Amino acid sequence: MIKLQGVNKYFFRGEPREVYALRDINLTIEEGEFTLFGGASGCGKTTLLNVIGALDGCESGKIYFDEKEISSLDEDARTTLRLNELGFVFQAYNLVPVLSVEENIGFIMRLRGFSDEEIRRRVLEVATLLKIEDKLKSLPNALSGGQQQRVAVARAVAAKPKIILADEPTANLDSNNSQILMNMMKELNEKEGVSILFASHDELIMKSVKRVITLNDGAIVDDCKQ
Amino acid sequence: MYRLILKMAYKNMFLRVHRTLLVITMIAVSMSMMLGIQGLYDGMAENMIEKNKRSGSGDIALFAKEYRVQKELKYRVKNASSIKEEIENIKGVEAAVLRLKAEGLLSTARKSSFAFMQGMDLEGENRFGRFEEFLKEGEMRLEKGDAIIGLELAKTLKLQIGSKVVFSTQDIRGEINSIALKIRGIVQTTNIELDNSAIFVDIGEMHRFLGTNEEEATQIAIICKDEKLIEKLVIKYPELEIKSFLELKPTMKMMQDVMLIFNSITFFIVMSVVFVGIFGVMYVSVLDRIREFGIMISVGMRYKYIRVQIFFEALFVGIIGYLSGAVLGAIILLYIKNHGVDLSSFSDALEMWGYEAVIHGTIKISYFTTTFAAIIAASFFSILIPLRKIKKLNPIEVIKADK
Repeated sequence: MIKLQGVNKYFFRGEPREVYALRDINLTIEEGEFTLFGGASGCGKTTLLNVIGALDGCESGKIYFDEKEISSLDEDARTTLRLNELGFVFQAYNLVPVLSVEENIGFIMRLRGFSDEEIRRRVLEVATLLKIEDKLKSLPNALSGGQQQRVAVARAVAAKPKIILADEPTANLDSNNSQILMNMMKELNEKEGVSILFASHDELIMKSVKRVITLNDGAIVDDCKQ
Repeated sequence: MYRLILKMAYKNMFLRVHRTLLVITMIAVSMSMMLGIQGLYDGMAENMIEKNKRSGSGDIALFAKEYRVQKELKYRVKNASSIKEEIENIKGVEAAVLRLKAEGLLSTARKSSFAFMQGMDLEGENRFGRFEEFLKEGEMRLEKGDAIIGLELAKTLKLQIGSKVVFSTQDIRGEINSIALKIRGIVQTTNIELDNSAIFVDIGEMHRFLGTNEEEATQIAIICKDEKLIEKLVIKYPELEIKSFLELKPTMKMMQDVMLIFNSITFFIVMSVVFVGIFGVMYVSVLDRIREFGIMISVGMRYKYIRVQIFFEALFVGIIGYLSGAVLGAIILLYIKNHGVDLSSFSDALEMWGYEAVIHGTIKISYFTTTFAAIIAASFFSILIPLRKIKKLNPIEVIKADK
């Protein structure tokens, strides 16, 4: 599903403070995987997630999504790819504050042009799965951090992307809410068949995933299926 | 999608409600003041022009060639009555009058001054320009030996109602002739020429005094709606000099131009304030929400939708400001139109320039349409820099800043 071949990325290229962010990454992610990019802070896990998510480019190497090379796409094509194929969950929830939970969850579906009826049905379905169906009319700031992150997950999953990229999704949550969120994401992975890639150093996520890819200094040092 | 964008734009406007209200108030107050000033300036100019037309040349005036330069009776229109009748039958002509004018000396027992005597038909003048409305003192009556005098000339010669004066001039035979007159009324037309130097008598009496016959006149003045009538008249009466009001009163044209410049400067200043206000609120609003826009771009929202959203936000602020300003401005304009602005303390200076002490404003639809268009334009231009900020936004940087 996703294939990286010899991907290299630098920050501050040509400057004295040049950083080797990703070193010769070769990696294959199959459909339905529940995978974590782990490692110490600054090891390159978020950068790898951004490169896979077409948010960032790379200096050399090739990235394939469903056999199609995406590393050379222009900005417009990358936006389309992100909209149609990928879902994102960020550390800081990043919901639209003026929209209700229902509108936030349906936001990407609306961008993709789904009908009102489809959006209503799917939003209810996902919200029920994530146990926030009673909060649909609320505004995000009326919810707890855990509930807001569940809304963010619901937004990412509602439009049925092939893959969800979650960068430190539990970083702002307490252990109880982190556990609830992980259980729900696991359920989504199993029920919806959506692949989920995490970038995190949270032990809880590490225990929950099926595959852990450890990075150090921008290079993959371990790839362990559990 | 656009429904959602509209909703987001509308709700974002109230996200920082005090800031938005401040800008809306700023737009409304500055716009209403501008409308008030525009109405007042235009009212001053239009009032002055209208009174000058009513008391003077009308929209078009016809003279014998050379009369306006020589100002002598020999350059009079010989068949003026017939021409007047012909003109009155032309479509678009509302009224026409004949006037006979002679320059001379107006004297009392103690003082004398240059003046011109204007012979006129009072009934015709009332139809032509509601002349009776100019009466300041006395009565509007012109019988044998009666005269009505301009306010400033009356002040110069210290004349009152009932005062007796003698007007001396050259008749058509070249003889110096005098006529004794009794002041029946004093008029203030705000037409400087008339107020400072005119004494009005019945045209029949003036014919007898000067020796001219009733067919003759020195001026035929016309009030009409048809702007192209002058072209027809020039062709029809090639032997006469035919001039429009603004050709006869170039100072009025100059005054109109000056008022237009004043209005344009006021308009420019106010629209700059509107632009800066909307720009400020939009720029701060975009900076406040830069992370939100970054995330929207990350999840696949196209820049064009963000552009539309920001434009709608600016437009909402502009339109609400406009509507508030239009209502407030309309109230101010209606007040100025109906009650006027009393500048009595400057009345001497104003009258010297031909303005009334109480200035009445005017209301034009164009004030509101032009302002509306300018506010739409200001809304559009005010978002260009904030949009540039978003266009250059790197979502990765925004996401990094989250951590």
